[in-house]
Amino acid sequence: MPEPTLSVERVSVAYGIGSGRVQALSDVSLSFGPGLTLVQGHSGSGKTTLLSILGCILRPDSGRVWVMDQDITKYSEGVLSSIRRSYVGYVFQAFRLFRALSALENVTLSLALSGWGKREARCRAEASLENLGLFAKRHRLPKELSGGEKQRVAIARALVCDPPIVLADEPTASLDSTAGEQIANILQDLASKESRLVVVVSHDARWRDYSNRTLWMSDGRLVNEAQLS
Amino acid sequence: MLKFAWRNLIHDRLRFAVTVVGIAFATFLMIFQGSLLAGFMSASSRIIDLSYADIWVTARGTPCFDFAAPLPERFRDLSLGIAGVRDVHRIASSFALWQKPSGERQTVLIIGADPGSISLFPDPRTQQSTTLLPDVVLVDHSNLKTLGVTTLPMEVEINRHKARVVKEIEGVSSFMGSPYVFTNHSEATRYLELPNERTTYLLVRVVPGAKPEMVKSELARRLPEVDVWTSSEFARRSQLYWIAQTGAGGALLTAAFLGFIVGTVIVSQTIYATTMENIEEFATIKALGASRWTVQRMVLLQALASGTVGAVLGLALTFPTVSLTKTSIPWIYTPRWLPLCMIAVSLLMCFLASIVSIRRAVSIDPGRVFRA
Repeated sequence: MPEPTLSVERVSVAYGIGSGRVQALSDVSLSFGPGLTLVQGHSGSGKTTLLSILGCILRPDSGRVWVMDQDITKYSEGVLSSIRRSYVGYVFQAFRLFRALSALENVTLSLALSGWGKREARCRAEASLENLGLFAKRHRLPKELSGGEKQRVAIARALVCDPPIVLADEPTASLDSTAGEQIANILQDLASKESRLVVVVSHDARWRDYSNRTLWMSDGRLVNEAQLS
Repeated sequence: MLKFAWRNLIHDRLRFAVTVVGIAFATFLMIFQGSLLAGFMSASSRIIDLSYADIWVTARGTPCFDFAAPLPERFRDLSLGIAGVRDVHRIASSFALWQKPSGERQTVLIIGADPGSISLFPDPRTQQSTTLLPDVVLVDHSNLKTLGVTTLPMEVEINRHKARVVKEIEGVSSFMGSPYVFTNHSEATRYLELPNERTTYLLVRVVPGAKPEMVKSELARRLPEVDVWTSSEFARRSQLYWIAQTGAGGALLTAAFLGFIVGTVIVSQTIYATTMENIEEFATIKALGASRWTVQRMVLLQALASGTVGAVLGLALTFPTVSLTKTSIPWIYTPRWLPLCMIAVSLLMCFLASIVSIRRAVSIDPGRVFRA
């Protein structure tokens, strides 16, 4: 797997029009490499907008975005979808699992989107769930799983296509401390042992113990950065 | 993707049931109305289709079989002299008053044909024996009650002439409220009090190898005072008259079309509601990298899956209902192609109904996934 890289250059994003216009990101330039980067800031500071830009879900009003050394700024919606499938795994605060599908089917769906065959997808999805200790519960629906288990299924779904980049939005906000710690360890291992590029957006100060680098944002700008060895 | 679309669809079973029932109702309505229309058309040319004639000679302007006008019998002799004509048979037909034993009266359509070559045509002799029986008529089983026929044989009066119903027949019920009464030509002219040397239709058969179109042209040239039709032309003319001129066909078509519209509205509402209920999941799947085509396909698959289940249910309802209806509307008829066509129409209905939902699902902002 090539070394994961992600960067933004002089990126600005605004929402709304006229007097209701809000500058969500102002002239932000950043680069990310392997390791876990924590992005912190108050509500409305632009963290989630930055994550949307990094995840190729939102286009900036100005500036440029590189994913795995590809300038994606001018890419069409179809190509961006393909970039998302190939390079990025997402973990969401609200888990975002498909309620009508079992844990296994939720994970398999990611592979189906990438064009995997049915049998191979099933084997791979089972292995992914097994790695996260959920093999025994693979046939359960999301409503039959605890919060921590749901988030582990979401992580299995994010990792099953082996993306070099993992973006997590408040991944422990809906969990108790034990489950949160478990998820934090999993994401830290992805960054340290598997050299993936992991970006976590969180209010939770405990994440600093797991991150290699912490960024602080305020009013759409990067205001501080701490790099740990 | 198919599995995901299906599982999402049936996750809310109540909503799915409402969708399926809506489609089933629309399919049922379309097939049932279609069966009425097909039966009506078939019944309106039934007598023409029963004859073996290649060509029909009618009084000028005769719109359909049921509204005949007299024409001189000498045209029969003229027709027989034309090259390619094998034989010419007569049919005398018009409305008459049928008096039941109770004294009640009923308008009937008397149809009296020459015996012999037109073997499919109901004829007292071919139905019972080869001996010509006087005053004998046949009526369809479905009209027995309307005509007050309680036992067979039974004596009645037609235009104050004595007649005897000797046997019931099947499959030639009238579709317009005046039952058909079959007899031979001479009895019919008597009941109808047609002037001497008058009949209403001449049925021409051509010799083997002759082209009916050619013979028809020659007949039309030699008999300019009458209309000359091939059998299929006269059948189509009769059908068109009843469908277009009377408004009956329009009413049936309108009901079938309303079934389509009602079905489309029901399905579009429920498919849209299902899509909106799952809109966050569509946002998620888009964020995970699903293409526009994948999202479109999922909504479309859901609509078509609903359509298939609904159409099958609608079909299952239609056949027993049509059978049951035959007791009161004997001419109702479901052609084999009709259910297949209506399934296709139901699927088209579901496709149309899903368009708004597809647009909504495709346009959903995947950035919603980052909102808790």
